[in-house]
Amino acid sequence: MNSDAPIPALSIRDLRAGYPGGGDIVRGITLDQAPESILAVIGPNGSGKSSFVKTLAGLLRTREGSIDVTGKRVSDLSPARRVMSGLAYVPQEANVFRSLTIKENLKLATEFLRGRTGVGSTQEAQVMALFPELGQRHKALAGNLSGGQRQMLAFACALLANPEVLLLDEPTAGLSPKFVGETMEAVVRVRESGVTVLLVEQNVAAAMRIADEVMVLVAGAKRLLTRPSDISNFDLADLFFGKVQ
Amino acid sequence: MIVYLSTLAVLVSIAALVGLGLNFQWGVAGLVNFGVVGFVALGAYATALTVSSLGWVLAMGLAAVVSAAASTILAFLSVRLEEDYLAIVTIGFGEIINILLLNEDWLTGGALGIANIPRPLASVIPAAQYDNFLPLFAIGLVAATFLVLEMLVRSPLGRALRAVRDDPTVASALGKPVLVLRIKAFAIGGAVMGVAGSLHAFYLTYIDPSQFTSIITAYAFMAVILGGRGSNLGLLIGSCTIISLIEATRFLKDALNIVDGVQLFALRLGLVGVGIILLLLLRPQGLFPEPRKHVRDFFEDSRESN
Amino acid sequence: MLGQVIVNGLVTGLLLALPSLALTIVFGILKFPNFAVGSTLTFGAYGTWVANHLMGMPLIAAAVVGSLVTAGMAILSDKLIFERLRDSGSITLLVASLGLSLVLENICRFSFGNATRDFDIDIARPLRWHGLRINHEQMTTAITVIICVVVVQILLHASPLGRAMRATADNPALAAVRGIERNTISHITWALAAVLLTISGVLAGMDRAIDPLLGWSYQIPVFAAAILGGLGSPIGAVVGALVIGVAEELSTLVLPTNDRQIVSFAVILVLLLVRTQGLFGARAVRK
Repeated sequence: MNSDAPIPALSIRDLRAGYPGGGDIVRGITLDQAPESILAVIGPNGSGKSSFVKTLAGLLRTREGSIDVTGKRVSDLSPARRVMSGLAYVPQEANVFRSLTIKENLKLATEFLRGRTGVGSTQEAQVMALFPELGQRHKALAGNLSGGQRQMLAFACALLANPEVLLLDEPTAGLSPKFVGETMEAVVRVRESGVTVLLVEQNVAAAMRIADEVMVLVAGAKRLLTRPSDISNFDLADLFFGKVQ
Repeated sequence: MIVYLSTLAVLVSIAALVGLGLNFQWGVAGLVNFGVVGFVALGAYATALTVSSLGWVLAMGLAAVVSAAASTILAFLSVRLEEDYLAIVTIGFGEIINILLLNEDWLTGGALGIANIPRPLASVIPAAQYDNFLPLFAIGLVAATFLVLEMLVRSPLGRALRAVRDDPTVASALGKPVLVLRIKAFAIGGAVMGVAGSLHAFYLTYIDPSQFTSIITAYAFMAVILGGRGSNLGLLIGSCTIISLIEATRFLKDALNIVDGVQLFALRLGLVGVGIILLLLLRPQGLFPEPRKHVRDFFEDSRESN
Repeated sequence: MLGQVIVNGLVTGLLLALPSLALTIVFGILKFPNFAVGSTLTFGAYGTWVANHLMGMPLIAAAVVGSLVTAGMAILSDKLIFERLRDSGSITLLVASLGLSLVLENICRFSFGNATRDFDIDIARPLRWHGLRINHEQMTTAITVIICVVVVQILLHASPLGRAMRATADNPALAAVRGIERNTISHITWALAAVLLTISGVLAGMDRAIDPLLGWSYQIPVFAAAILGGLGSPIGAVVGALVIGVAEELSTLVLPTNDRQIVSFAVILVLLLVRTQGLFGARAVRK
């Protein structure tokens, strides 16, 4: 790595985390993610992908190790402070406030981020341009939207925070194939607008099509980090289904 | 001094019985019961009203039965509910019992209560020796209850209850009828509390509603938390500790003559509150925490590979 | 006379409305039933009484002082106790609130004894309207409660803070990742509940005298009202309170007055059997 290389958007060292009273689920992960790239995190069920992303977001406490967003240490910050430092997170389910209206969800996305650079009407206009449908049904309760529409709203809310790094937990879960494609296109557009994206995905094929790098997580540990073109299906099958190393 | 120690032994025994009952309901079966005092009161009154006609053995048995019946009804109505709601229902129950005891004076004597309760074997044991007998009787009762409950905890019923407590969804998937188990657990705990009530009635020989306030529930919870939920031995130690501490404040009054009766009362209750909070903050797992077990460990017959 | 009973019932209901509102808001946002509502009400009443009777302030100013002190106490207990137990499950929080309840009630008892106290206020003559008697305190109660309910509704639905509180109630983890600090919302919720409970304490103290068990006597009807309305629903709490108030008063026509609490308890049991979500809330059946 030469000295002119830009600061990684996301820099993780020996990260360990777990649920209170239990053992480590995230077992010593180290990685650097280049700015404006898409990193896909894949792995078998129960490998801790969701827990990994929750730890990055601050919903699971970091037990050991560190997390830096564009050089800023965030691993000891509360989730709310991490958003102020440029990290945004879209959970897999329960990713909108169902008992609030679309308008209220959107308002909340920025109301408590005073002082976050780039949050403002220009940003809002850009984001709403990506999701025109949302502008129309302001008074609808978010809980009454379809799965795909809620996904869009969740996405929009995260983007309104003008993040440097966007964490997505299985954005295509439960969506029809058409929506899967649209969602992945939206992820690419987001990357093109200057955001670094880390996404956890079960849909390996869809993820590999858009990712710049892929990390395979098995039992909480990083087993492989490489470009999609360098992995074959056989490697994946071995990793996922337990060729013991 | 001997008299005081024997009094203490009886008080500890009553508290231990109440605690053992709650420990079975909450510690072993995971059912929170904030109406503990109501079941104790039922037992006390059932005994007081019938001991003259039925004799002490049947009167105690009746106390257990009445409390178990009330527990069963209450559990049947509310055991499907989330913990929060069960807590609310049981606290309401405790209050209602108190109100009924005060108001239904045709049965309970109202605020005046019931006096002259005959004690077990009082006609057989001479009065001079009775003060030595009663603590032994009480301790014997506790020992017997402890053994029975320990057997239950180790029995298939007990294992099933602990599995359900730790993971209700998995346990019900394994086929144990969860609701019936819970009702049984509640009833068993309630029966023990009823017996505690009888002992209380025999000890004081006079009962009235003012003796049954929610502070008894608070003491029981403290003992269970202190002793480590689920552990009967821990519970006994917890009860001894609590009662000793409470009784120690009695000396406060004599030593520091600056507080009057009401203030002493307030001080004791306030300290119980502080004690509960401190316990929860500092040592929620108690003195003898139960080691974490998996559902698998309880059912040797289910060989699920994981 | 039926009309008079209903009027009394509505006023009783209004007296229950604010504590029920406080309970339901704490449940919705902090996710556990707070057993210290009764004793916080008592604490608030005594705090106001000290300012009113011992320091000579007029009642409204005294109530403000009482509210501030109680809110401070509530925030302190959140910082010292509930914040640390946040991840320990609602039963632990519940038992902790029981402990707090004992502490608060007995601080009052220790400081002021069991004798009843009264506020220093002027006595006014009752109003008469179409044959119904409405006394001054009942009018004050009605107006105060209605104003408080309206203010709370406006707060919850038309202010950023209210949105943040509703968001935290809806999904605490998501609220955190949208920039809403959970601890801050928690403190504000406790403070709001404390203010509502202090006001209730003042109204209750005007209705009957102040003693250490003042709030405890409201505990069951308040829980009944909040559950009836659906735990977590502010509108529900108010509607539930009115229904319970009227039901309790109506029951005095057939039952002896001391058994009123049984009515509330019966309501709780029936509801939990039949419709756990109450009128406006979410289901409560264990899996």
